[in-house]
Amino acid sequence: MKQSYVRDPLGEAKPMYNAYNEAMTDLFKKNDKIVLLYGDFPRGAAGEMATKEYPDRVYDVGIAEANLITVAAGLAAGGKIPFTHCHGIFAVGRAYNQIRQNVAFDKFNVKMMLLNTGMLWAFMGGSHQTIEEITALRVIPNLVLFSPADPVETKKIAQAAVSHVGPVAIRVANPAVPTIYQDNFPFEVGKAVTVTEGKDATIIATGISVADALKAHDLLAKENINVRLLDMHTLKPLDEAAIIKAAKDTGAIVTVEDTSILGGLGGAVAEVIAENYLAPVKRVGIKDRFGQSGTIDELKEVYEISASHIAAAVKAVIKRKKK
Amino acid sequence: MVYQAELLNDLQNKAKTIRRESIRMIKAAGLGWVGGSFSQADIVTALVFHHMKHNPKDPNWEGRDRLIVSKAHCCETVYAALGEAGYFSKAEFDKYGKLGAILQAHTERTAPGVEYSGGSLGQGLSFALGEALSARIGAPKDASGRPIPRFRVFCILGDGECNEGQVWEAVMAAAHYKVDNLVAIVDHNKYQSGAKVIDRIDWTPVAPKFAAFNWDTVEVDGHDFNQILGVLERADKTPGKPHAIIANTIKCKGVPSLENKNVHFCAITDEIYQDAMKALA
Repeated sequence: MKQSYVRDPLGEAKPMYNAYNEAMTDLFKKNDKIVLLYGDFPRGAAGEMATKEYPDRVYDVGIAEANLITVAAGLAAGGKIPFTHCHGIFAVGRAYNQIRQNVAFDKFNVKMMLLNTGMLWAFMGGSHQTIEEITALRVIPNLVLFSPADPVETKKIAQAAVSHVGPVAIRVANPAVPTIYQDNFPFEVGKAVTVTEGKDATIIATGISVADALKAHDLLAKENINVRLLDMHTLKPLDEAAIIKAAKDTGAIVTVEDTSILGGLGGAVAEVIAENYLAPVKRVGIKDRFGQSGTIDELKEVYEISASHIAAAVKAVIKRKKK
Repeated sequence: MVYQAELLNDLQNKAKTIRRESIRMIKAAGLGWVGGSFSQADIVTALVFHHMKHNPKDPNWEGRDRLIVSKAHCCETVYAALGEAGYFSKAEFDKYGKLGAILQAHTERTAPGVEYSGGSLGQGLSFALGEALSARIGAPKDASGRPIPRFRVFCILGDGECNEGQVWEAVMAAAHYKVDNLVAIVDHNKYQSGAKVIDRIDWTPVAPKFAAFNWDTVEVDGHDFNQILGVLERADKTPGKPHAIIANTIKCKGVPSLENKNVHFCAITDEIYQDAMKALA
């Protein structure tokens, strides 16, 4: 059963980077400590506004992700709130030590936009489709990791990033995503959003996968299987209480992500379940392989992360429930 | 420019003091980076005790100049200088590298006066660049429209450290943005951990590489205070480009029996200790 703050039908589809830019246009003007940094990356509406009106608060360092992240740390040491923008694959890949050593180690107030992450940056192929960032980033201490599901949530997360004092990373997928939430939906850092209520199983999804999980909910409802759907928008700190409650209340869990199930959201949920309250878990996501070019729908089929795959996983995990 | 004998004398004595303290520190810890700590000691002395504006009683003063020691393993002379300057009690020296110490094996911001948590080479110049940019944002402008930076940033790099690609990412960006309140000092002691620089990866001569990336570049004898002070002052008066000072130095300078040997990371034996204390008296 969908919660009241979930749009039914879903709203307009929009890329989350556009939504972020809408929010940042306002946030940037309200807080003169914010500096926008780019690694040869499109600036979007906020960056273009800032370039024209506040040119000393915008810098592009070129195709140099390591420098991008560490310059941000230096700016934070100098009292600024830097937001870095580059492809997530290259921030996490080429600047991993910089995130860990220059930003997280001293808890600098750096906000890292990880753009075009996940499997569904469809045309770009395997070199650009991330499988690793949730796994790689959740193990870094002092880091808050966000993964917005829709444009409305993206704006709340941008605001939360400014308010939070300390390192933040925000993974943003490339494609347009449907608007799931009403503007006033309940958002709290570190607290999963209940998208639907149900007793038969729980789907815990993140980012671009939430919309597909919602479709799966609808498919299952037609067969009288009613699932709770949790939007885990904060991957670190993880809402362990919601996970444990889901195991207690519904007895079976399916996780969904567009990145690797090894150590990603699926791994994180499995850790919590194993230590706290046993229930069968099925992880839907990328199964230890690299990506490839295709269309979004084709890739969802090939990598088995479509709504019908999620629904099938729910049925399979229900069969394993304790009697 | 020739500086007053009294000033130069004073700096030479301070440099000796920080070298002595460093030897004691390394002996107490059991191990340390003598070579690279000592090659940079005169540069560190010139910065901490003369050229930089800073206040040991107010380590977070926003207008202070910043010292970023990117070659953060060469921490002992930095700690000695900061302790001598009054950033923390000299009782901390004996705790260097021990559990719970503010003086960690690589410089960390846990120690008052330390601006940069290093250990992963090649990153400090980027960090220094970020700090230098922050000093320019919103700063009042001079008649030509150039921002008057609120503070200066000095970054000490190793010559071996410049193998790391990220150094050159920072070099390119600093030149592009004409960050003239950024001074990089390469402690060109001709060695890196396992070998001579020219034997490991020969990218010498060093100075033309920085000049080629549009930095205002000079070379000095890194143990001659007259020259060091001269080029630091010159950097202040040369707007429009970041500044590279290539300091030709001697690894382990100050302990003749160890000078120019590749003493990178070592224990201080009783013999070395006696010898060093005699040389640094």
